[in-house]
Amino acid sequence: MIGNDVVDIAASRIESNWKRKGFLEKIFTAEEQEFIKLSPDPETYVWILWSMKEAAYKVYNRETGIRAFIPHELACKIYGISPQEYKGVVTCRGGIYQTTTTITNGIIHTVAVPHLLKDRKVIEIPDNVLKDTYRRPYIINRSGLRIPVSKSNHGKCTKVVAFSEHPVL
Amino acid sequence: MNRTQLTEKLKTIITPYANNIQALETLEEDTDFINDLNINSANLVDIILDIEEQFNIVIDNTDMERMLTVRASLDIIETKLSTQ
Repeated sequence: MIGNDVVDIAASRIESNWKRKGFLEKIFTAEEQEFIKLSPDPETYVWILWSMKEAAYKVYNRETGIRAFIPHELACKIYGISPQEYKGVVTCRGGIYQTTTTITNGIIHTVAVPHLLKDRKVIEIPDNVLKDTYRRPYIINRSGLRIPVSKSNHGKCTKVVAFSEHPVL
Repeated sequence: MNRTQLTEKLKTIITPYANNIQALETLEEDTDFINDLNINSANLVDIILDIEEQFNIVIDNTDMERMLTVRASLDIIETKLSTQ
């Protein structure tokens, strides 16, 4: 199981007003709100944490089959910041999901995997995505096998990711 | 306000966020905000805030959890209004 989420900052500025009264309170835990408030760049951190929640929710949803709008229950922590990426962990109803977030040219992209699969390599792949009857995305590899993938689109950006050990190409 | 009037009011709230105009025109109780109307999930928060403001009700996290369809939203709004 894998999940990803894209936030196109330019599109988010048109579609959302994160400063709207009540907006942050509806999405983030008290701890996350404090983290955003104290950060040097609140806007970026709003969308990093949001993309962590969305990516982790996709894994949770595909593991459990449960659909729910539960941003508050997807509790985020960022534990590693380097020039290349933000490493984080999201917990939700007993599940633990590891996240990696990158920011390139105004595009925030988070990939989430279950904690147990945290050492597996993830790659970006071309968008040849199909969906099964439960709306779960997959691709067909050269051997005709279905490989589960995750796809996210926002604004001008679409990204598809999969675990690299699947013979996807 | 009856269910039809509630639906109309909800439709007005949803309209600015809907990205599938055809699904919006044929909106019914089974309509799904994300799967049918292609609403960006960050805008679900705006819809919930708009509903709170326009109906003067408070939607807690437990209610919010179910608010993915027109039917669930109408049920929650009706319940809130009737207990006011």
